[in-house]
Amino acid sequence: MDKSHYGSRNPSELPFESPFLRRCILAAYWALVLVALPAWWHTTSIERLPLPMSQVMAQTKREIEFPLNIRLSSAVDGVDADAVAHELERSLRSRLSSQLFVLPTGLNDVSVSSEPGSYWVKLTDGVQESVVEENVLQHRWDVRDSTASSTLANRLAALLSPYSEHAHAEQHEHVVSKYASRYHIAFTLLNEDAASGKSALSWQIREALQRIMRPVFKRLGPLHNFTIESQVQFHAPLAFTPTAVDVNGTEVYGLTPEDLTVFVNSAEWTLSSGVTNDPILHFLLFVPSAFRRPLHILDSAGTLTRSHSFILPQWGGVVIYNPPPETQGNFHILSSQLDSILPIFRHQLLSLLGVPRLPSGVKSVSGSLSTWQIDALLRRRAHENAREAQQTLGSIVKLVEQIENMPVGKDVKRDVEDALSALDQAFEAALISPKLAFDHSSRALTLTSRAFFNPGMLALLYFPPEHRLAVYTPLFASATVPLIVAVIREFAAWRKQRKTAASSGIADITSVGYCPSSATFDHNDVITKVGLNQR
Amino acid sequence: MMRLFTCAPTTVCLYITFCLSILAVTFATDGVNSQEAARDFFTKRIGQENGSNHTNNWAVLVCSSRYWFNYRHMANALGMYRTVKRLGIPDSNIILMLADDVACNTRNKFPGTVFSNQGRHLDLYGENIEVDYRGYEVTVENFIRVLTGRMDASVPRSKRLLTDDRSNIFVYMTGHGGNEFLKFQDNEEISAFDIADAFEQMWQKKRYNEIFLMVDTCQANTMFSKIYSPNVLATGSSELGENSYSYENDADVGVAVIDTFTHYILEFMEEINKTSQLTMQDLFNTYSFEKIKSTPGVRSDLFSRPLDRTLITDFFGGVARAELVDENASVEDSSPTINVDEPSSASAEDVPSDHTFARSHSANNITHADLRHSAMAGKESSWPGLLKQFRAWGSVAVVGGVTGWIFMSR
Repeated sequence: MDKSHYGSRNPSELPFESPFLRRCILAAYWALVLVALPAWWHTTSIERLPLPMSQVMAQTKREIEFPLNIRLSSAVDGVDADAVAHELERSLRSRLSSQLFVLPTGLNDVSVSSEPGSYWVKLTDGVQESVVEENVLQHRWDVRDSTASSTLANRLAALLSPYSEHAHAEQHEHVVSKYASRYHIAFTLLNEDAASGKSALSWQIREALQRIMRPVFKRLGPLHNFTIESQVQFHAPLAFTPTAVDVNGTEVYGLTPEDLTVFVNSAEWTLSSGVTNDPILHFLLFVPSAFRRPLHILDSAGTLTRSHSFILPQWGGVVIYNPPPETQGNFHILSSQLDSILPIFRHQLLSLLGVPRLPSGVKSVSGSLSTWQIDALLRRRAHENAREAQQTLGSIVKLVEQIENMPVGKDVKRDVEDALSALDQAFEAALISPKLAFDHSSRALTLTSRAFFNPGMLALLYFPPEHRLAVYTPLFASATVPLIVAVIREFAAWRKQRKTAASSGIADITSVGYCPSSATFDHNDVITKVGLNQR
Repeated sequence: MMRLFTCAPTTVCLYITFCLSILAVTFATDGVNSQEAARDFFTKRIGQENGSNHTNNWAVLVCSSRYWFNYRHMANALGMYRTVKRLGIPDSNIILMLADDVACNTRNKFPGTVFSNQGRHLDLYGENIEVDYRGYEVTVENFIRVLTGRMDASVPRSKRLLTDDRSNIFVYMTGHGGNEFLKFQDNEEISAFDIADAFEQMWQKKRYNEIFLMVDTCQANTMFSKIYSPNVLATGSSELGENSYSYENDADVGVAVIDTFTHYILEFMEEINKTSQLTMQDLFNTYSFEKIKSTPGVRSDLFSRPLDRTLITDFFGGVARAELVDENASVEDSSPTINVDEPSSASAEDVPSDHTFARSHSANNITHADLRHSAMAGKESSWPGLLKQFRAWGSVAVVGGVTGWIFMSR
């Protein structure tokens, strides 16, 4: 009874149906929407800081250049160092792309040898072969030889720029592993089957490494940081059976070139501890089972080769060790026996790391790596690193531009900026010392890689627009459409009310002109009528 | 999709929008095709010689579906795992992602085994299997992180794809999919666009030499339709609108044990050993609708080598080369030397400089082509992007307008 009475009441008399209150409620909704909009925008947008694009673009066009300073002195009678230097400079400049100066100098100029980034060529007739020591090349100069000057130019070109000069070296490019500041080196003694007897139970690898490998590691210390591990395995079966070959009535076993490519049985050999994310270079000493000795390597025609070792590009090296036939029972490989094996590993290591070899006719005095070789490697790696850093920077910028929902955080921006400055430093340092330039370039490479591989750079997943529509429509359409419609209706009512107010206002202007409160009452009535008409 | 639509207030307007969007999609794809053709032209120009010049092989094998009734997807991925391992890719170079462990499922009547054939002849689970991502670790995010290498520093080596510009990568994906997506677990999906973008990021960072993508799912060919990076070869089990079917049931296991497409691929692979000279073309020639019950697709327009020169083992095998060491040189002389013929004085002056010039020139060519490539890709991504934005907001406006009109007219 009461309810029906309530329902039949004039809506305009309900307190919450007063136009003012209704508009306030509507305005409150809209205020909430408007206030929430920036927050919604902020929380759903991806942080994309601007990257220094123009700087990156300018940087990617630069090339690192190393000027080369060569001092030339002559101890040979009747040779004019000035003339030779001039001739040498002309012929080397046409062959090498870098800036190059050859300066004649006195025989006993002490300051030259200590100057970083410069080389000293001494012409003598005292040595049989050309000899390098540190940054000095002692070159035998024969006055009677007419090609003496071009021979020297060839040697120098091969020493200074070994990678572009040798057609032979080109073929070995794919062997060289990519630059990494840290390498893991794993030496493994593998017995194919120790149960067959006559197997190597241990090796004195520690002493041998100390004696033979350590000088090399030390010399390469400026470029790489090496971690070394070694292990012995007693059961390392091959995944194939070596071919039996008959040589002079005795049966030997052979590995065909195809066998070599699948020699490493990675499914069953556990070769490294895998504790590191650094690249690993493997060196395997393989002792064949007692029933398959001696094991040799065959060439493609099926005949035996003299070599017992091979390189797997960018992976490591393998040496096959056939113990002497008179061996009885199991044995231990002594440090002295390793003396013939570790130099092969060293050779393989140098090839894998891209250390240039000395050109023919040039020997190293102490047997260690000369400054010429190390510098050539430093220049090469600095060049590679700088180029790779430039390319990575370029691709970061390109990808960020291309993939619209890829976030770019503060740390990425900072790394990119740091890498740019490291590259600048590398370009500057290249004029002074290859080592410094290399250091800066490798830092640039580390920074760019870190920026590229930043875990926060993962782009949000792609959703097709239909997908978004399907998600947003049920959520927002049901909320926004009544709000918009309410505004339109309210606006229409307001206009109608104003119109009627205006017309009735003209009629009553003389009687109620000074009574605004009665006019307001009229308005209320009008609105109620309008409202009722609409229902 | 349609089920989602029904929860919107007015199905009719949505239907209109839907039609509109379909129209727009067809227009957009037409544009993409012509641009693709132009891009192929550039990528083919910078292609290299016929032999692959990779030095290491990697495999990423993904089974993206859970639950016992998806036994066959686990078997698919494990079958591929067994094959690549047999052909010489070491475990350290295989990233195996299995969304469920059916071998240890309580419903498995043969615990600790996964079989791929009726009669259970071959146990794929075996004794030596290394699953790198399992169960709920198999997510779209993790998969993309594996590909792009964007990982936390604490992630161990075995979970990383440590490839470089000399790596050939075999990517195999299986699960339930649809037009341009593949479902992961039961709650998310990866779209063809995500895979395409991930490959592009890998290409930019030189994380691969070549990629072979194989997808076994319903409408699988749509998964590789959006890829735009060079040197990618792709194959899938079925066309848009087609299902991929399972091959056979085992009555004792109680569910389907393998999918048809993967079954025939694996059957072909059984014939291959590490030194096989069979090519990708030979594999693709074995495809037939009669056997597979769907239309397998091949996409080779981005791939720069002819398929009949691309060995199966370039992707499924281990390393390709070995080089003999000249022992005498390394033992006698502690500082290694090589014998280079001294060039005669006349040629010595010209040849090397020419040579370096040619090299730098070709390098320039590549970067130019790359730039053009990326410029085009940028344009392409912006146009349909705008169109799509417009379409989305336009249809929201239509829905809003119609709903408003209904409200107003009452």
